[in-house]
Amino acid sequence: MEIIQGFIDAVVGIIQSSGLMTLNWQNYTMIVISIILMYLAIKKQYEPLLLLPIAFGMLLVNLYPEIMAAPSTEWLTEAQCQAQNVATSGHASMVLDGVTYYENPTYGGLLYYLYQGVKLGIYPPLIFLGIGCMTDFGPLIANPKSLILGAAAQIGIFLTFTGAIFLGFTKAEGAAIGIIGGADGPTAIYVTTKLAPHLLGSIAIAAYSYMALVPIIQPPIMKLLTTKKERSVVMEQLRPVSKLEKIMFPVIVVILIAIFLPDAAPLVGMLMLGNLFKESGVVDRIAKAAQNELMNIITIFLGTTVGATASGQNFLTMDTIKIIVLGLLAFCLGTAFGVIFGKIMYKLTGGKVNPLIGSAGVSAVPMAARVSQKIGQQENPGNFLLMHAMGPNVAGVIGSAVAAGVLLNLCA
Amino acid sequence: MNISAIAPMLRTADMSLSEKFIASAQVILTGFVVVFIVLILLILIIKLFSFIIQKAQQGGKNKIKEESMQQEEAASVQVKSAVTQENFDGVPEEVVAVISAAVADIYGSSAKTRIKSIKKSNGGRSAWANAGVLDNTRPF
Repeated sequence: MEIIQGFIDAVVGIIQSSGLMTLNWQNYTMIVISIILMYLAIKKQYEPLLLLPIAFGMLLVNLYPEIMAAPSTEWLTEAQCQAQNVATSGHASMVLDGVTYYENPTYGGLLYYLYQGVKLGIYPPLIFLGIGCMTDFGPLIANPKSLILGAAAQIGIFLTFTGAIFLGFTKAEGAAIGIIGGADGPTAIYVTTKLAPHLLGSIAIAAYSYMALVPIIQPPIMKLLTTKKERSVVMEQLRPVSKLEKIMFPVIVVILIAIFLPDAAPLVGMLMLGNLFKESGVVDRIAKAAQNELMNIITIFLGTTVGATASGQNFLTMDTIKIIVLGLLAFCLGTAFGVIFGKIMYKLTGGKVNPLIGSAGVSAVPMAARVSQKIGQQENPGNFLLMHAMGPNVAGVIGSAVAAGVLLNLCA
Repeated sequence: MNISAIAPMLRTADMSLSEKFIASAQVILTGFVVVFIVLILLILIIKLFSFIIQKAQQGGKNKIKEESMQQEEAASVQVKSAVTQENFDGVPEEVVAVISAAVADIYGSSAKTRIKSIKKSNGGRSAWANAGVLDNTRPF
């Protein structure tokens, strides 16, 4: 009889601690959303490198919320310590109403520890290190004017900030939401962890979703704002850039930005360090490690833990809906201002600049540049805008890091 | 109390309309101006250093051109005599040409560089394997 009672107690205990009893409707909704995101990542290949770990992190945290639980301490009586096999010696104790309580530390969940790299702002700069190793700033050095397009596309960030303020968000939250318009995942995560960590899940998911949707969001705006004649402009071939220029570029950029905008230094500094590894040609092994092993490991940690911040209770709120709408607005405004400045450059240069390259200023490397190339070729199949669009595209990475520095300075 | 609990209390709902306008205008103006100034400064600096480097390299290139013309003449004479005089141990002429080109590229084709002998190596670790080992064991 005792055996059967023990068995029943054990089964009841397992059922009570199982998800069936502890999860609520919000968790189940998030599980469905995470499965849809996994489908989009695997089947439609929408930013799979990040969307897949994000979706899986989301799934894990909604199945087992304790995986993101922070470590804490509990106070146990001597009897409780004995029942739970917890040693009393060496633990802090206190006496309350004649009863001695012992401090018993509990450990945090796995993803809580991995999340510290996001929380402390470590992962995004490391991702930038890898991106720097993979980026060729040659087209930007050959045509430095494209930096203007990279700056113009950041206007969406600041205008969206206004929208967020009027929707009732704080200044810090508005800045974190606006940075979605930079179309740069690591930058968005970096700014959000510093300014509005409670919105991280919603902002990261909105940012990466819109980056995946660049080929769908941008073309209508680009076509709406340009004429057929403007879209058909064939640009002159870029001059070759010497190795010395490519080596000096990261050093000069980091000096300039770190002096004028120290808040942007961690992101830009790591980006330029990675680029110097690549261009110097003397540390091939480090460059390879940074852009392969290191970047892949950080991507796994970053994606999974960012996804794990999207628990049902945090994510299924009106704020998330507002963030998704504002994020789309930021993206569209960034694209529009890039194209508008492209048109201004078209006029000023007497028709030598194709305004389509302006939309690439929103970062989202290299997808945004590919969209410029594709729309350009629809008008003129012999037109190759890709390398011209890569200039504003990489300028957008620098521009959004600078904008992030400005927002951190103003809103922190 | 965690941040998520505090955040709604700090919301701008209690800010007046004019305060919201001022806060937005401040960020927009500062953002525009700083981003544009920093990136325009960057444009000017890139242009400046590109100009300096191009000028310096153009001057250098003219010198190199003259030197390389002289060296090419000397090298062509040397290669002709080398092929006839040195011991290449049955190695095909094409292979000799490739090795000579590689040597000329690394050491330069001055009169001091001379290939005395090319022999097939037997056994041991191949050159590719050696390169692999070196690449993986060379310290930082």
